[in-house]
Amino acid sequence: MAVLLKKNPIDILFLGITAIASLSVVLFIAGILYILFTESSESIGKFGILQFLFSLEWDPVQELFGAATSLFGTVVTTVISLMLAIPIAIGIAIFVTEISPNILKGPIGIAIELLAAIPSIIYGMWGLFTLAPIMSNYIEPALQKSIGKVPLVGMLFKGTPMGIDLLTASIILSIMIIPFTASIARDSFNLTPAVVKESAYALGATQWEVVKNIVLPYSKLGVFGGAVLSLGRALGETMAVAFVLGNNHQITSSLLDAAATITVTLANEFTEADTDIYLSSLFNLALILFVFSFIILATAKIFLLKAEKRYSR
Amino acid sequence: MTVEKRRQIESAVALSLSTFAAFLGLFWLIFILGDVLVHGVSAMKLSLFTEDPAPPGIAGGGLKNAFIGHVLITLCATMIGVPFGVLGGTFLAEYARGRRIARIISILSDIMVSVPSIVIGTFIYAVLVKPVGHFNGWAGAVALAIIMIPVVLRTTEDMLTLVPWTLREAAFALGAPYYKVIIQVVYRGASAGILTGILLSIARVSGETAPLLFTSFNNSFFSVNMNEPIASLTVTIFQYAMGPYDDWHAQAWAASLIIMIFILILTIIGRLIIKWRYGKR
Repeated sequence: MAVLLKKNPIDILFLGITAIASLSVVLFIAGILYILFTESSESIGKFGILQFLFSLEWDPVQELFGAATSLFGTVVTTVISLMLAIPIAIGIAIFVTEISPNILKGPIGIAIELLAAIPSIIYGMWGLFTLAPIMSNYIEPALQKSIGKVPLVGMLFKGTPMGIDLLTASIILSIMIIPFTASIARDSFNLTPAVVKESAYALGATQWEVVKNIVLPYSKLGVFGGAVLSLGRALGETMAVAFVLGNNHQITSSLLDAAATITVTLANEFTEADTDIYLSSLFNLALILFVFSFIILATAKIFLLKAEKRYSR
Repeated sequence: MTVEKRRQIESAVALSLSTFAAFLGLFWLIFILGDVLVHGVSAMKLSLFTEDPAPPGIAGGGLKNAFIGHVLITLCATMIGVPFGVLGGTFLAEYARGRRIARIISILSDIMVSVPSIVIGTFIYAVLVKPVGHFNGWAGAVALAIIMIPVVLRTTEDMLTLVPWTLREAAFALGAPYYKVIIQVVYRGASAGILTGILLSIARVSGETAPLLFTSFNNSFFSVNMNEPIASLTVTIFQYAMGPYDDWHAQAWAASLIIMIFILILTIIGRLIIKWRYGKR
């Protein structure tokens, strides 16, 4: 290769162009980090990094800003949506790899991929016009009447069911991330060597025992990586939650209250920020979101790479 | 109850739960697709494509400006994003193949694919909107291009890696320089795969809203000037759906249906190309 390179100037030129093109990705990451940092320097200078993270204030009038309320919404919606999505996604993966007849495998696989291709704004709009009324009229009153009566847990379902709240947003988010988790879980399940599964069947294991004792332990790294990847996706999702969260900066014990996430705050307030410190604080939120999701996505990638390495042998 | 019986029942219960989960997934898909279809079709009118928006609160009008604007932004994003993506992928799969730098960039691109798109919007706002002083179409196009590049780059890399090394050796043996081998032999062998990557990346960005909110913003008038704020379907959907008028909601449904059909068709074409070219995957 090196010999060929020396002989031809056009080759060196082409090498340079392609190298620059691929380095652009690195430049974007560094650029985003640098720009967000400089833009939020005013906010960091005024409020400090830790104080900003933990301050409950979000008051554009008095120009006091803190990330805690937005972080609260982000964490709550993300955690609930993962709790709802992961079991279903694993169920789907088990169905597709172990149970379904071959004729169904293709269509269900395609259906899951189409679910992943639907843009988030459509999820959001569907949530606002279709899911939110269903939630406020049927599901939320029913939840209040049943689990809502249990002491302590009941705290989660207090208030008037409006449909525009943390619970609805989490459900939409969970529908959005099911496909990602499911397709990664399916790919990890498929890496289990058939011989090992067949040996277990030969010993008289039931189908579920094979899944539980052979397939799941074999693919746990990959499934875990997929779950973390979904976490990263859910964290940064904007439009699916922007419609149904209400952008209300508060920390609340009830899932039936409106709240705000970092992404929803950015989407709603960025173009309205009228003072420098307001805009700078919004950039600060974006920086926090970028750093957190980058770390989480990198972790997911490491797990997925490890899983791949272990089983490709 | 015997142990065998218990194990059988346990297995049956667990497997039915998985089956239930799979059908739950299908249920959501049909529910969402069906809902958008029903609302979208009932709101579909010819005036949607031929007229610009009416003033707020007045019924009628269309989304011509948003359709044109959306196509324009996506087209510009594709023209910026695809060359970067394809050439970048070429570097990783050819010149830097097997080197550490290829691996690092490849992993970083995978991460960039999932980075929150709204963060890219804020970044572009600081770089291309604030210095200019007003929202503009180019900023939106660049924001979409940044989302596109890692997607195209990674698929290109994967597809070029699939081309057998011996094919390149055959071309080297004829005395061809590497760049000619890449352009005339490797690209040809991987063209279907690269095309799929491009199609899927277009599908990905044409549904994006968040990065456009504060870059290309919105425009209620017809405009093809990329230096000015420009309307896009997705931002218009956001504005209309959150707005108070029934007529706006109907138009938002219709616009959603059109975007959804476009994206689903692109996705399915992409899958078909892969299936047809690379067999069962």
